[in-house]
Amino acid sequence: MLFVIFESTRSALSSILAHGFRSFLTTLGIVIGVASVIAVVSLTQGLRASVGEQFSALGSNSLTIASYTPIQDQMQGRRARLTADDLELIERRVDGIASITPILYATRSSQIRYGSQTSFSQIMGTTYAYRDVGQYYVHSGRFLANSDNDTRRRVAVIGEAVRDNLNLPEDPLNEYMELGGEWFRIVGLLESKGDIMGFNQDDIVLVPFATMQSIQGNQAQTDIQIQLRVSDEASVEEVSRQVTSILRNARGIGLNDRADFQIQTPEQLMETVDTVIGMVTVVLGGIVSISLLVGGIGIMNIMLVSVTERTREIGICKAIGARRHHILLQFLIEAVVLSLLGGMIGVAFGYGMGALIAFSIPGFPPANVPLWAIALALGFSGFVGILFGILPAGKAANLDPIDALRYE
Amino acid sequence: MSLIQMRDITKYYQMGDHTVRALDGINVHIEKNEYMAFIGSSGSGKSTMLNILGCLDRPSSGQYFLNEQNVENMDANQLAVIRNQEIGFIFQSFNLLPRATALHNVMQPLIYRNVRWSERKSLALEALRRVNLADRVHHLPNQLSGGQRQRVAIARALVTEPSILLADEPTGNLDSQTTVEIMELFDQLHKDGQTLILVTHESEIARHCHRIVEMKDGKVYRDELQSATA
Repeated sequence: MLFVIFESTRSALSSILAHGFRSFLTTLGIVIGVASVIAVVSLTQGLRASVGEQFSALGSNSLTIASYTPIQDQMQGRRARLTADDLELIERRVDGIASITPILYATRSSQIRYGSQTSFSQIMGTTYAYRDVGQYYVHSGRFLANSDNDTRRRVAVIGEAVRDNLNLPEDPLNEYMELGGEWFRIVGLLESKGDIMGFNQDDIVLVPFATMQSIQGNQAQTDIQIQLRVSDEASVEEVSRQVTSILRNARGIGLNDRADFQIQTPEQLMETVDTVIGMVTVVLGGIVSISLLVGGIGIMNIMLVSVTERTREIGICKAIGARRHHILLQFLIEAVVLSLLGGMIGVAFGYGMGALIAFSIPGFPPANVPLWAIALALGFSGFVGILFGILPAGKAANLDPIDALRYE
Repeated sequence: MSLIQMRDITKYYQMGDHTVRALDGINVHIEKNEYMAFIGSSGSGKSTMLNILGCLDRPSSGQYFLNEQNVENMDANQLAVIRNQEIGFIFQSFNLLPRATALHNVMQPLIYRNVRWSERKSLALEALRRVNLADRVHHLPNQLSGGQRQRVAIARALVTEPSILLADEPTGNLDSQTTVEIMELFDQLHKDGQTLILVTHESEIARHCHRIVEMKDGKVYRDELQSATA
């Protein structure tokens, strides 16, 4: 059998080469279908790989707990809150936390000023532990200290982008900047972390949590966020589950009620990106299966013509001893080889296109074709070849040798 | 037992309401190394005879033993094996594969016997040498003259070392000079021990043969031996 397949492949290849241009046109449908899918897959996979890298840089073992108020409740003026009590509860009762910190975002004004220069930035009240949770390290000066919090010092640690925006000197330490009407002394400059999904991580001002609380006033009303980093031995899922159950318990949320807080992990963000890419892939898969279907019909059409054209040859082969499967395999393999060739050209062409597009859009991550996409594209085009080759091949194999020999 | 035994072979075709008796009770025995011709006018049944002898077609009734094998109840694939093993076809219109060189045409029947490439090639070259075409093995059929094409076809028939060579009007498309050459080749093959069966309507060709079977209306009309005149 292997011998027959080998010989049939040889004869199929020579027959495809004999009609080079026609074979190319026949397989063009497959080429276009496969090329378009590979181009888009290479772009989305390149995007996914680069997003994944950025997320792992962010620290995949941190999670953020924030309050959550459904829109209906917001319209009725109700607001859910997370408070310092919740922070204490989680810190005391949840296992597997490496470090935990509250975060209070500036709500009134995020305007900052140095000299005559003003700018807007993300201003966060947080603690010493944020260094570990957020993976921020100082380039010069120092990070926030516990004593800053205890004594509500007016000090700030700034990112590189803030220094740049405010025209602060190269060494901004001990300069004073205005922040919501209060003056803060700059004690530290953070190491640059770059962009993540269009968000500049260096455009950030960190002040002590208690200082932020005091300048915001109205302490009973403040809604904080809690960020924590899971220790290496513990799993993010497990910690997330513990936090959920403790907070639900403390707040007396019924089994079937929606929680008034939510937990975000970098994995969840990654999953969202994956979902979008998955949807694009499915839609694309639909389009491509249509174009492969059309390509397959083109192959079947040409194969039927080819069987008619070669009726006499088939008769000759049968007269000199070709059995049914010899003829069947020859035409079937010809169809499969045609569509596989189309698939291979399509993969190369699609990758080229993807690489070209990725290259010509500045800042776009490089194209990346995963092996599964190549295997799938080739497998699918081979399947199309079998599906649409079986009818013409069967027709050829069932020809009567006498009629076929007489055919003009 | 004879190489070919046909007992009461009939072949009927249904044409509308009436039955055409293409062959009507044929009894023929053919021995090894016979050199014979079926002759007859068109419509006499000699083409049908050739199809049945060559296992391209099956008789409506009767028994056909070829080299001690009963061909009667074989299916299409088994008949294909018989054609490949026992029969070498030579056609009036040569019937070479147009896109294959002389060498590849001669190698083709060996593919169906699962003969390896290198062995196929050496057997095919040997067969082409026997028909004096050793210098044109890489030519395509349309680069060869009619006589050369027919010699490629004969080489293709010989390469499988068949029990019988079955030639259907082998010189019908050739000029007289080439016809003489081809017939000399047939004479030589007969001397080498090959069994040859020709189907022809030309008495010139039939005269080379040692036995002539004349057919008329699907029956054997005359079956006689003659001393070689060539």
